[in-house]
Amino acid sequence: MTVPLLELRDVTIALRGSNRRMVTGVGLSVSVGEVFGVVGESGSGKTLLTRTVFGLQDDTYLAGGTVNFAGRTLPLDGYMKAARKLLGGEVGFVPQDPYSSLNPTMRVGEQITEALYLAKRMPMNGTATRQAAIDVLGEVGIPEPELAFRQFPDQFSGGMRQRIVFAIALAQDPKLLIADEPTTALDAITQRRVIELMLDRCRTRGMAVILISHNLELLRQSVDRLAVLYGGQLHNIAETAAIGHHTIHPYTEALFDCIPSKGKTLEDIRAIRGEPAGAGFGLKGCAFASRCRYAEPICVESDLPLNSAAQNGFTACLLGRGAPQ
Amino acid sequence: MSAPLVMLQDVAKSFGRRLLVQNRSFTLSGINITVNRGEVVGILGESGSGKSTVANIITRLTSYDAGSYVYDGRDVSGYLKSESFGFKSKVQIVFQDPYGSLNPRATVADSIGEGIKLHQPQLGKTEREARVRQLLDEVGLPPDCGDRYPHEFSGGQRQRIAIARALAVEPELLVCDEPLSSLDVSIQAQVLELFVKLIRERHLTIVFISHDVNVVRLICDRVYVMHEGRIVEEGRAHDVLTHPQNEYTERLLAAVY
Repeated sequence: MTVPLLELRDVTIALRGSNRRMVTGVGLSVSVGEVFGVVGESGSGKTLLTRTVFGLQDDTYLAGGTVNFAGRTLPLDGYMKAARKLLGGEVGFVPQDPYSSLNPTMRVGEQITEALYLAKRMPMNGTATRQAAIDVLGEVGIPEPELAFRQFPDQFSGGMRQRIVFAIALAQDPKLLIADEPTTALDAITQRRVIELMLDRCRTRGMAVILISHNLELLRQSVDRLAVLYGGQLHNIAETAAIGHHTIHPYTEALFDCIPSKGKTLEDIRAIRGEPAGAGFGLKGCAFASRCRYAEPICVESDLPLNSAAQNGFTACLLGRGAPQ
Repeated sequence: MSAPLVMLQDVAKSFGRRLLVQNRSFTLSGINITVNRGEVVGILGESGSGKSTVANIITRLTSYDAGSYVYDGRDVSGYLKSESFGFKSKVQIVFQDPYGSLNPRATVADSIGEGIKLHQPQLGKTEREARVRQLLDEVGLPPDCGDRYPHEFSGGQRQRIAIARALAVEPELLVCDEPLSSLDVSIQAQVLELFVKLIRERHLTIVFISHDVNVVRLICDRVYVMHEGRIVEEGRAHDVLTHPQNEYTERLLAAVY
């Protein structure tokens, strides 16, 4: 029996000022301890969705829908404030760029003890706090954690810095970790190490993870289920095991077909014609219709099916492609 | 068998203290690279491995400290001014960032036509314009978009413009420095298709610099794997990338998703 930790129902996100809808009708749920992926190209709304849901984005707001976290419904009124309260305690965040997310003037140890103080009210200078910080540095695979505790971020490589950012999140013992393209700035070898370590530690602690990436192949190999966003619409929620077996949404399929992954030949790669749609497509018609190899007139005319809180195998295809039999 | 087009022998280059990255100075050493006519040669490596520096040396955008660079049988260090000028039309480069590599104040036709104007001054204005339209068509852009400016195009389209500009002077060698890296996945596949088409139709000689193992495996005949300023492995792309002999190449391949 899976217990939902985060549940989004019909979430719509709009820009402040113009009220332009950037993300529409997204419903999904992440269970306790689940590793969940969000994939999309630039402008798909993948970053905007998570940043707005957790109150990190200043220029957008939650214009509709409900967000449940750990059994509580967050109020639409004063949403940002309520959402931010979750951060740093129940929700940890690992942003993309490890070069700008750490404070260059603070020692690594201080940045972790600060997190322990803020999340758990542990005293900044206590021996127990210090030991907890050193332990968590060790847990994320930093060699010589006692030494690292006293060092500054610029003394570490990109991969090690991202581990430190992860350690800060981990120190707060959150229920959910949001990792937004955590390894995009890193090299291939480091990338795999950091992702594997991160997911392994989260699984050990029973933490749920939302891993956001543009790399479908990375997600396919790392997460259990994933949501596919395109043009601000939720197009597909699929078990990663289903990808490549054509039981998925046409966009997910097309995305998979254009990646030159291992074992593919040039003939296997099929580009998607046209340009990616920007966010803000609304619900009128399928944002992918203009590039879809199966598209029919109904795809532009009808409203995209909404899902309340997506179950497995949700497919927002107007032609019913990829829906479970 | 004709002489190789590019022959780098024991080329080395080091950067001074001003470029210290993470307390390490960067050095490139013992670079031996041969590119034969009609070949697509990949240079594979992670950031900081020196692959872009090699691209810049091959295109003579940067100097080298030691070793020799023989282009088409002639050592480039002995180039006369006129030869240097001629070299620029023989070797062209496509950069990673299609946002930074096009002049925002020049129309697309101006950017593409500039090289033709310089290197083929005998062509008249109408011939040049026809040539630009033909190039735009070849790279998959509407032939009449020459009056527009770079900001009116998407990343993938700008990369196509950069490719058209490089092809405008009919180069012998095209150096591509991570031409797909800044593009969206679906656009990467489109530009990859364009490269495949150009390789087949134009029989171009290409040096393709990339960190993407899979792309190199698909389009390159031979590959050099670089790590920390050295070449650690070389050979037929398919062989190296399926049965690596070097420990680093092995690790790199194992890490790729």
